Amino acid sequence: MREKESIYLPKLAELVRTEGLTERERLFELKLRNGDELGHQPGQFVELSIFGVGEAPLSISSSPTKKGSFEVGVRAVGNVTNALHRLEKGATVGIRGPFGNGFPLDRLKGQDVLIVAGGIGLVPLRSLVNYIEDNRQDFGRVLLLFGCRTLQEQLFVGELDHWRASKDFEYYESVDRCEDPSWKGQVGVITTLFPQFTIAPEKTYAVIVGPPVMYRFVIAECKNKGIPDDQILLSLERRMKCGVGKCGHCQINNVYVCQEGPVFTYSELKNLEEAI
Amino acid sequence: MKPRLAFFDFTGCEGCQLEVLNFEQELLDIISAADIVNFREAMTERSDDYDIAFIDGAITTERDVARIKEIRERAKILVAIGACACIGGINCLKNFYPMEEVLRIVYGESAHYYDTIPARPVDAVVPVDYYVQGCPMTQSEFVKVVKALLTGKKPEIPNYPVCVECKMAGNICVFEKGETCVGPVTRAGCNALCVTNGRTCWGCRGLVDDPNTDSEKEILAKYNLTPEEIIAKFRMFLGYSEVAK
Amino acid sequence: MKYEVITKEDLPPFVNGLLSEIEVVGVKRKDGKFYFDRIESYDELCLDYDVTLIPPKKYLLPPNETLLKFSLGEAIQVEPFIDAAPRIILGVHPYDIKAIELMDAVFSDSNPDANYMERRRNTVIVGVDCRNPSPNAFCPSMGTATTETGFDLMLTDIGEQYVVAIGSEKGEELLKKHARTRQATEADLAQRKAVREEALAKYKLSIKAAVEEIPELLERNYDHPLWEELAAKCLSCGSCTMVCPTCVCFDVQDDVELNLTGGWRFRQWDSCMLQGFAKVATGENFREDRTSRLRHRYFRKGNYMLKRYGKLGCVGCGRCIGACLAEIASPVEAYNRLKEGS
Ligand SMILES: Cc1cc2nc3c(=O)[nH]c(=O)nc-3n(C[C@H](O)[C@H](O)[C@H](O)COP(=O)(O)OP(=O)(O)OC[C@H]3O[C@@H](n4cnc5c(N)ncnc54)[C@H](O)[C@@H]3O)c2cc1C
Ligand code: SF4
Ligand code: SF4
Ligand code: FES
Repeated sequence: MREKESIYLPKLAELVRTEGLTERERLFELKLRNGDELGHQPGQFVELSIFGVGEAPLSISSSPTKKGSFEVGVRAVGNVTNALHRLEKGATVGIRGPFGNGFPLDRLKGQDVLIVAGGIGLVPLRSLVNYIEDNRQDFGRVLLLFGCRTLQEQLFVGELDHWRASKDFEYYESVDRCEDPSWKGQVGVITTLFPQFTIAPEKTYAVIVGPPVMYRFVIAECKNKGIPDDQILLSLERRMKCGVGKCGHCQINNVYVCQEGPVFTYSELKNLEEAI
Repeated sequence: MKPRLAFFDFTGCEGCQLEVLNFEQELLDIISAADIVNFREAMTERSDDYDIAFIDGAITTERDVARIKEIRERAKILVAIGACACIGGINCLKNFYPMEEVLRIVYGESAHYYDTIPARPVDAVVPVDYYVQGCPMTQSEFVKVVKALLTGKKPEIPNYPVCVECKMAGNICVFEKGETCVGPVTRAGCNALCVTNGRTCWGCRGLVDDPNTDSEKEILAKYNLTPEEIIAKFRMFLGYSEVAK
Repeated sequence: MKYEVITKEDLPPFVNGLLSEIEVVGVKRKDGKFYFDRIESYDELCLDYDVTLIPPKKYLLPPNETLLKFSLGEAIQVEPFIDAAPRIILGVHPYDIKAIELMDAVFSDSNPDANYMERRRNTVIVGVDCRNPSPNAFCPSMGTATTETGFDLMLTDIGEQYVVAIGSEKGEELLKKHARTRQATEADLAQRKAVREEALAKYKLSIKAAVEEIPELLERNYDHPLWEELAAKCLSCGSCTMVCPTCVCFDVQDDVELNLTGGWRFRQWDSCMLQGFAKVATGENFREDRTSRLRHRYFRKGNYMLKRYGKLGCVGCGRCIGACLAEIASPVEAYNRLKEGS
């Protein structure tokens, strides 16, 4: 295959809006300077450059149904992410991608969907939730589970309110611990939400994104409910440098997370030694 | 406002400050991006107001301890430069002798005028934000740290052994020439300067974060170093770390 | 394939002819070792060597390579940067050619890498059969002692002359333009075959398993105690991977001018044996212990690469064996231990 241009060359994008989500996370709305749509699928990611600092893989948080711009939700943890947090409206960043496979919309269509978001796992899942909302007739029941450690760590609080009230979703939420007496919701880890609902496992797809520690427990709950392994979908985080299957950093055994992932079925992962 | 940089020296040869002066053009570039204050080797004017303090030399007296604590209080960011400040360096060789003996060896009859304590790196006394390793400090790393400070990022300092850079440089391994080396446990970042120039690595850039020193010692023994020679090898620069004790 | 013959007397004018046209890198000698470097005349060239310190991959994937240049400040501008000056690599051994074929597969796969591909298109490979293999090499076990593909020209020393196999039009053109040759006879080719066979007999190491068996042998032994035993001695120094012709992983970083008016993005060789290779910003390290890193290297060589690119990730050059001070990087020993134990 002959290459058209450098796969390492980012497109320039303008930061059109930023919004604080929590103490550590911010939302960034971006527009490609050449006016193109990003053209992504929910669950895909971009490599975002701050020139002079570096590049980081970030999930796209907005739905492709939202045209004209796209969003990333970012926790400040290192060089690129901290530098991004310091940027103001109008600043220029670089974007490569979208990369990765994304959630398998074709398989989800017509089925019930159980969405399980732990902490900033909600960032990529928000893309799927908003996509489903804009194409609601294509999906069966949609259950939305969101858990985070404290109330202060809840992201997208405006949208959480909306989902709580919406007839489109069956919304369940928990916080690991809570001192606030006005919180009437569940206190406990996300798995404590599972006894609260029933599902038809044969036509339910679970879509799970959260910190690595969460996966094992949530998978066990999904299996408990009878969801087949190849209907349990997870998005994995790995170190990434290139995003295009060259640098080797994201490799789990023989799998390149940036290429075959980041979304995998549990049946693909259960025999992959280093995966979960 | 331009960041204000200050330089202070403790016990060492001041070779590291001279390294900064050697930059010439590059140093001028830094100055255009920052103000330099309190640089004993280069400027006469002093100021006690600074954002970033660069420290060279090890802490070897009670007076040093008080002084470094004061600098730490005034500086927003503290950078240790050179092996003496970063890892204690060769100053720590003296830690293996009783202190009175050290004083007598160094100062003879006037030993009683001086106080000395076991030599230690700066971070044994106060927190250090950034390190510029090496003896003398690695110039390119100094520039790297300065750039990182200017762009607000954490400098990407290697956490892998000198072997990586030594191989990239296409060197013949010194063990193959019948000599020995502590490069396999020493932090890279110098482009294997010494080996590339026909010498061997003595570990002046300190250990990597997770060194396999047991394996390194086995290898040195395999290449016919006696246990005493192995200890001496490690003590040269790494005397302050546990491996040499 | 077409074969020509060039006498040893006619070789220097050929090489000097090439030098008049294009940059040539070849094998030189230093302190009893060999390395690839730019040559200025035929006299510097060594065509009878065992193995080079660093494989010719350094000309296709340089240890440090600029990928982008950008300006900073008000209006940021970015440009790709590709240095692909035309070059002949002269005297590449078959196993290193096999390794380049694997690199080609990696960098042309699904998202072709323009930096590599441009350079590769502008690189002419003139191979030479290895008559005196390194004591650490085990090419016959890997099927890489000779090759019929991957070169523009391939020389075999048959005494007073070289047989030249013509692997590409580009190679044929260069030969026509700069060398006096004659067509090879049956006798020349018979001699070439004999020389190659003679060399085969000189290899000291061999793997007790058939090459097809290796992927499965590894798979069966993912949890074998061998990995831990070897890893206990591992320095995580990356030497085994830096010198390996099939190791192509890299890191990417940005650097800036001191006056902050611009900068560049570069990649540099990285290694899965190094402690931080799989570590992410939140502190999680997906291959934290030496054992999982060491095993990953062996599996990448003997299993993963084959599954992904259809070629094993080891060509038997033995450089890793020579480079590892802890004496634990040898594919021969590892595979043989597993084979014996099974
Ligand atoms: C597919 C994918 C999607 C992600 N989506 C999000 C998201 O939506 N929001 C969010 O806040 N974070 C996300 N992350 C994590 C995010 O990529 C890291 O936090 C980020 O790379 C840290 O970079 P840094 O420069 O700030 O940190 P540094 O510690 O300075 O990292 C230096 C370099 O290491 C690599 N690196 C470090 N951590 C990671 C990591 N976790 N994953 C991959 N590479 C890493 C990167 O190449 C980075 O440039 C995602 C990671 C992956 C793999
Ligand atoms: S693994 Fe070792 S023998 Fe195999 S190709 Fe790499 S360096 Fe050569
Ligand atoms: S196997 Fe040997 S060469 Fe490779 S990292 Fe470990 S000690 Fe270094
Ligand atoms: S991120 Fe480079 S190979 Fe996947």
